[in-house]
Formats: sequence, C-alpha cells, structure tokens
Amino acid sequence: MEVLVAQVINGLSLGSIYVLLVTGFNLLLLAAMIIHFAYPQVVVFSMYIAWVVLRYTGNSVPLAVLAAVGASVAINLASAPLFQKIMKNREEVDINSTMVVSMGIGMIITDVLSHGFNKGLPISFPRQLVGDVALFRFGLISLLSGQAASLAVGVLAVSGVFLLLYKTRPGRAFRAIAEDPNGARLVGIPLLSTGLQSYALSGILGGLIAVLLALMLGYASPGLGEQVAHKVLAVSIIAGLGNLPGGLVVGLALGILEALAQGYLPGSWSNAIAFIVLLGVILVKPRGLFGLKL
Amino acid sequence: MRKNWFVLLAVLLVLVAFVFTGCQRQGAAKKVKVKVQQWEIPFLNSLTGPIASIGEFLHWGAERAAKEINEAGGISGKPVKVIGVDTALDPQKGVVEMGKIVQTALVALGPVPEPVIMAAMPIAVENEMMSFTATTSLEYAEKFFPWSISWFPKTEDRLPPLVTAWAELNPEMKSVVQFVGNYGPWPGMVAAHKVGLEKLSLKALNNVEVPADAVTFGPLVVKALEQKPDGIIIACWPEKAAKLVQELKSRGWKNMGRILLFSSADDASLYSTGGASLNGAIIYNYINVDVDTPRWNAFKEAYAADHNGMQPPSLSTNYYDAVYMIKEAMEKTGVTGDPKKLKEERKKIAAYVADVKNFQGLLFNWDMAGGVPTNKPTYLFEIQDGMKKLVKEIRE
Amino acid sequence: MPLPLYYFLAITAINILMSWALYLPYRVAHLHFLTVANMAISGYLSGWLVQGLGVSFWAALPLGFAAGGLIGWVISLFIGEAPTFTVVIVGFTFIYITRTVIENTKAVGATMGMFGLPLVAGSPALHRWTILALLYSLVLVVGFLIHRFEHSRLGRAASAVFVDKDLATSFGVDIAKLGRLLQVFSSTVAGGCGVIYGFLYRSFHLDFFTFHLVGLFMTIIFVGGYATMWGVVVAAPALYGLTLLFPPEVASWRIVIYGAILVAVLVLKPEGFVTRRLVLNLERLLSSQRKKIQ
Repeated sequence: MEVLVAQVINGLSLGSIYVLLVTGFNLLLLAAMIIHFAYPQVVVFSMYIAWVVLRYTGNSVPLAVLAAVGASVAINLASAPLFQKIMKNREEVDINSTMVVSMGIGMIITDVLSHGFNKGLPISFPRQLVGDVALFRFGLISLLSGQAASLAVGVLAVSGVFLLLYKTRPGRAFRAIAEDPNGARLVGIPLLSTGLQSYALSGILGGLIAVLLALMLGYASPGLGEQVAHKVLAVSIIAGLGNLPGGLVVGLALGILEALAQGYLPGSWSNAIAFIVLLGVILVKPRGLFGLKL
Repeated sequence: MRKNWFVLLAVLLVLVAFVFTGCQRQGAAKKVKVKVQQWEIPFLNSLTGPIASIGEFLHWGAERAAKEINEAGGISGKPVKVIGVDTALDPQKGVVEMGKIVQTALVALGPVPEPVIMAAMPIAVENEMMSFTATTSLEYAEKFFPWSISWFPKTEDRLPPLVTAWAELNPEMKSVVQFVGNYGPWPGMVAAHKVGLEKLSLKALNNVEVPADAVTFGPLVVKALEQKPDGIIIACWPEKAAKLVQELKSRGWKNMGRILLFSSADDASLYSTGGASLNGAIIYNYINVDVDTPRWNAFKEAYAADHNGMQPPSLSTNYYDAVYMIKEAMEKTGVTGDPKKLKEERKKIAAYVADVKNFQGLLFNWDMAGGVPTNKPTYLFEIQDGMKKLVKEIRE
Repeated sequence: MPLPLYYFLAITAINILMSWALYLPYRVAHLHFLTVANMAISGYLSGWLVQGLGVSFWAALPLGFAAGGLIGWVISLFIGEAPTFTVVIVGFTFIYITRTVIENTKAVGATMGMFGLPLVAGSPALHRWTILALLYSLVLVVGFLIHRFEHSRLGRAASAVFVDKDLATSFGVDIAKLGRLLQVFSSTVAGGCGVIYGFLYRSFHLDFFTFHLVGLFMTIIFVGGYATMWGVVVAAPALYGLTLLFPPEVASWRIVIYGAILVAVLVLKPEGFVTRRLVLNLERLLSSQRKKIQ
C-alpha cells in the first residue's frame, strides 16, 4: 500500500508536467487555432534562458522568471506570423500545416540548444532553488516541494485559462478571432492586437511553466522538449483537442499510469504500455475521450 | 506518354550525376599519390548531433596524438593528419562516408557510435580495411574481426572483479539493486556486475530498468528502495544517472560510497547535471587521471586549456592511443602508402595491431591477443566536486 | 560502381519509396507515421527469418511486404477515416511500441541489434547490383501505381477529400474505404523498404528506425511538394545529397538548416517546390514538343 501511494504521488507529479504543457498547448489551440507541436521545446528554451540569467545575476530568481517569460513570449510572437501565413482555412484547425511548421521550429530550437548553450550538455539549476525539499515523508511516501508546487500550479493554470477563455471578454475575443476572424472583425474586435495578445499570453504561460519545471526537475537538456512533445500531443488528442478539463484529467492519468508501469513492470515497457493504453482509447474514441472543444 | 517518362528519367540522371560529381570531387581531393607526402587517417565520428560533445573530445585526442607525432618527425618521416568525417550519428551518412574512405585509405578510426558501426563496418570488412572501433564494447567489435579491434576485454572477465572490489569497500552491504538503461551492451554489463556481487555472496536484487526518455525518476527510485537494498549500481545514461543519484538523496539515501556508477556514465553530462550531489559516489573507469608522467601531464594540461579547465574524460585517450598504434604498425611493418600495395599494406596493419605486444599507451602499456586487449587496468574512483579521486586499481 | 554512388542511389531510392509511402495517405490529409514502425517490424522480421530460420531473402521479402500490409490493414480498420491528428498519434504510438518490443526480444538481438545478414546474391558486387535493381524496380512500380492512382477517379476523390471532406462525402466518396486503401498500400511499401534497408546495411539496429526518419520523410514531402508525387523524386536526392556536400562548418548546423528550409518552404511556397501547376505546365510543354516532333 505504501508503495502504491508513493507511486501515485510520483505519477501525479509527472502528470502535472503533462498538464502544464497541455494547458499551454490548448491555449494556443483555442486562442489561435494552431497545433504547436514544438510548444514543449519553446518551454525548454525558456528554461535555458532562465539558467543563463541565474548564472550571470548570482541566482536572481525574479530576473530569471522575467527572462523565461520574455523568451517564451518573444518566440511565440516571432512565430505568430509564420503560423498565420500558412493557415489556409481559419475556420478549422489546419493541423497539417501548423503541426509541420511547428515541427520545423522544434528542430531548430533543439539544435540551437545543442550548439549554443553549455556545449550541448544538460544544465542543472542551483540546488537551493530546486524544490527537492521533502514536505512530507513517511517511509517510501514523500512529497517534495517542487512536486506540490507543480501540481498546484497545474490545476490553477487549467482553471485560470478556462476562466479566461470562457468567462472573460478578452477570452471570448480570442476565441472569436480563432473561430471566425471575419465575424470578429465585424463586431469590432481588433484582429491584429487581439491575435498578438493571445500569442503573448501563451508565451507568458510558457515562461511560467519553464520556471516551474526548473523548480521541479532541477535540470534540462536539449532533447527534453522532444521527449515529452509526443506525449503532450497524445494527451491533448486523447482528451479531445482544446478540452482543458479533459487535458487535466488525461494528463494526470497518464502520469499515474506511467509511474505505476515503471513501478510494477520493467521500466523499458512503461512507455509502450502507456502508449498501448492511449492507442486503445484513441482507436475506440478517435475524437477524444471528452470530445473536441474547437 | 513514354517520352515523358524518358525525359523525367533523364532529369533524374542529371541530378544524380551532379551529386556524384560532388562526391567524386571530394574523393579526388583525397586521392593517394604514389609517393605519400602526408599520411591521412580518416576518423568516422559524430561531430554533430546528439553526441557531438563526446565526438569532440574523441577527435581532440586523435588530433593531439597527430600533433605530437608530427612534432617528433611524423610516421616514417612523413606528417600525419587526422581527418574528421562527420556522420552525425546517421547511418545513412555513415555508409556513404565509409564507402568513400575504403576507396583509398590505409586505415581508419571509428566509426562512432554503435548504429553507425553496424551500418558502416560491413563495408570496411568487405574491403579488408582495418577501422579502429576504440569506443565500443568487445561484443560489437568482435563481429567485425579481424578488421576491427577492441579496446576493451570481455565484459564478463573485466567487470566482476571491479564490482567485487567495490563491494569489498563496503563489507556491510548484503544486497544491491541495479538501475539499467536498455541500450547496447549495458544489459550485458549489468549481468557481469551481478557475477561480481555473487562472488561475495551478495544478493543481486531485481534490476530497475530506466526508460530512455524518463523525465522524472521518483517511480524508479521507489521501485528500487522498496527492495531495501544496501547498495546501488547505476548503469544508464549519464544525465539520468545523475538524476537518479539526486532522487535517491532526496529520498533519504545517505551512504554515497554505496552507490557505484558504471564507466559509460563517466561523461561531462553526469557532472554538469549532478554537480555536488555526486560527491562521495564511486565510479569505475579505465584511466587514472592522477598518473604522474610527463606525457600524461602534458595531455591533461592541453585538454584543460581547451576545455575550460575540465579533466579529460576516460574515452579521450582511446583514439589518442589508436593513432600511436597505427604509427607503430606502419613503421614496424614498413608500410609505404603505395596505392598499388593498398590491400597488402592494409593486411599488414591489421595483423600487427591484432597481436601487438607491450604497446605503450598514454597511461599504461598493454598487449593485444587476437584483437582483444589483455592486462589493462581498471579503477575505482570517488567523485568529489566533479573530479575523480583514485580509490583502487584492479587488474585481471 | 563506386561505393559512395551505390549507397547514395540505394538510400535515395529508400527515401523516395518511404516518402511516397507517407505521401499517399497524405492525399487524404493523413500523416501516416505508422510506416516507420512498419519498416522496423518487417525489417526485423525478415532478419529473423533469414538468420534465425534460414529462410532465403527472396522469400523473406514478400513476407515483409505482407506483414506491413497486414498491420496497415488492421490499424486502418480503426483509423481509416479518423481525424489527421489521430492518425499521427497512432503512428507515434506504434513507433514507441515497436522499439520497446524489439529491444526486449533476444531473438532479434534486442538492444545489441542483428549482425552479419547474408548477401542477397553470390558476391558483394552482385549483391549491390541486385539491391539497386530491386530498389529501382520498386521505385518504377510504385511510381507507376501512384501515377495511375493520381490520374484515376480515386485520385480525384482523394483530392476532394483533402480539400473538403464533407463535400467529398456528399459526392459519394467513401472516405473510410479510400483512407484504408491508401494506408494499406503505404504500410505495404514501408514493410518492403524495411527489409531492403536492413540488407543494404547487412545489419539491424534500433537506431536505424527513429523519429529522425519521420522528420526526414516529412521534410522531403513538404519541401519537394505534397500535392504531386514528383516533389519527392526531386527532394529526396537533393536533401540527402546536401548533407553529404556540406562543408564541416556548415554541417554542424545541418538540423537548423533543415528546419529553416522546412519552415521557409511552408510559409513561402506552401505546396512545396514542385507544385501541381508546375507539373501540369511541364506535361503540356512535353506534350507540345512531342506534337512538334510528330
């Protein structure tokens, strides 16, 4: 029982990473109608920027947070015109084009990180800033500060984004532009500035996620984004593209599933098992467990 | 309709000829003249891509050797040049590059790493050209004998004494759990570790497999600690090894001397990820950086100067030694570099190195028997602040 | 024949065939990444048959095709008319599962790989000519079939599905059947390619079949042109040849260059370099030249 509880906590921690990334991913999807496959790579890039700032400012956390957010916003805004240009049909997600463009962007980011930072070696964040202090420990069961923070923020992020998009005027404006730009223009929504705001907002969320991941994982490597990108896409699709609460449930469920698979079965099978379950779900429900929310 | 096909085929052929001309142009630049003005040793390496940082120091070691040899008069009076040939860990590139190399080269270094070895070494074998696969295990290298050479003895001979020696440092240990990454020869190494444990009647608990894309390590560490081990052996990717150590510590693991890291984890990624968390852990490897000889000291200083003060990683000496071994083979067998004698001289080099005796490596001397090294030492080190302090030397 | 030329031609043929295998389902907007898993499965299967059971290469090859086709057919029953992103995730999932199964199966060499596959003909030179002849025969056959498909009712139906699924359905196009057909064909071709790929290298290693291949084939299709089969024929040798001709200083930024080319082409020439219009104009030109000669 002790082991089971410990693994479930580990799973929730892992799942919270997926939830955070899927939330940012879904925000871009709902607000800008793009499938940003390389969103995890953008977040990892922001982690690297935060690391550089920490190194050169004597571990100034506020500056690192600002830098991470700034980097993520900058990349999002820089890539916004690319996505908007290639989308043929703004009434529907043009997954093929946006996904392929984002894959190209992901390739560039990963390789730039391999060349330009720390000679391509992984980076580690200062131990005093990493959340590996045990808030609670009982035998094998422990809850680290980083785990608790990422889980809490993950839930808050989903709630916050949901409220923003569905309960506020700016959120409605974002969705209106995404779904029908001509209609949005007709009712007086300024397309350019509102569109840019949606990209910037996703960037802000990305920067915050980067800081949280740095706190929780304590390290990053050039390939980290690629490692999780497939799962982030899978979670989003299984939950139903654009489905925020669904992303929360499926993200946490995948984390728990992986942790239990690693805990009770040979580790090399954990990925395969997780994907087999995802495959089963998607073959039975191709449009996602909780339905599309586009 | 048929004409359209012909025209399109012609266009395709023109494209191919264009690229082939490029290949030939490159090949023409490397043609060996009857009188060798310079020995050229191609080094099929991963200079870009996921393991570029490893490829860099391997190449550095080979170039260092070439530099020293040239300063001392070259090979048979002619200078030697190591030519880095990048495969970027891509087998598709590796085979084309090896295909170019076997046309004219006497001998080659590499390939690095295993996927490129698998794809490209059959070409070297078919063309009876020795290629020094100096960073892979015997289990890979021996598949291509006699046209490759192993830098490492049999895993099941080398590793058990190492692990036994480590266990002897911690006599109170009764059971050990191993973390293993499912890659290449690592499962075989873990099996050899187990033999070493069993020699002292230690219980080898169930292995914990580390997935290649593991991002968090809590589940794996819980699985290991659930078995209540007294000791831990970690045999997986360096970055993940460091994270496992940190996770173990965060879950209360105190006795760092009872953590043993295997040789393939001894990489810059381990130290850049793990930092001070690794202090006190034991690691085994094949070179002792504290050896005090002028040659090694010069190597260390030069490495530190070019790499921000870092210690040379253990594999950095492999291709350094390989270039010197090639020099010795060429000089001792009277290789001329005459293209007409290419086949014959390739065989001479291969035959010599397979059974070289008392080869004077950078750090120690060793013999080869049938392409397999004998009497090479291994070492246990304690990690302190990113440096390795010698704990024990073990010889077979 | 010089060895570099042999490998260049052989690998180019493989890349053309695999890119066509990806191109064909994309005619109905399916990014069918299952093909890479098909390559690995059929390849390792053939290796085991030849090395383990002493079956001849010429018997193993059709079995490799059949295995690919069978797997493609079974999966297509579920995803024949699924949304694009579902097909993408199924492909990724299969790649993970396949790799995990192979790395845990001792009979196919597990993590070490398979060594020393035999020659397919009596001598190394004959082996090379045989592999080349086989590959380019396949290129001609598959190219012919795709060409016929594109100029048939089915091809026009596929174009309609790509542009507007609902409209295509209203015209009586059976999307599920069409999707299944293309996926099965694609998987069959991929299976055969996997067999030949291994015998080209005379070994198998898991790292021959990675997500890198997905990126490569996708780049070939989108840079060459996704609307016509000729884009692949142009892009495959060009992109492969580029990597061989880069000087070392540039080669280290190879991935960034590929990513940038991919993004630039998608933004500036969304249909790729070889567009349908270009092919039509070329065909008209050739036709008028032929009439002049006659």
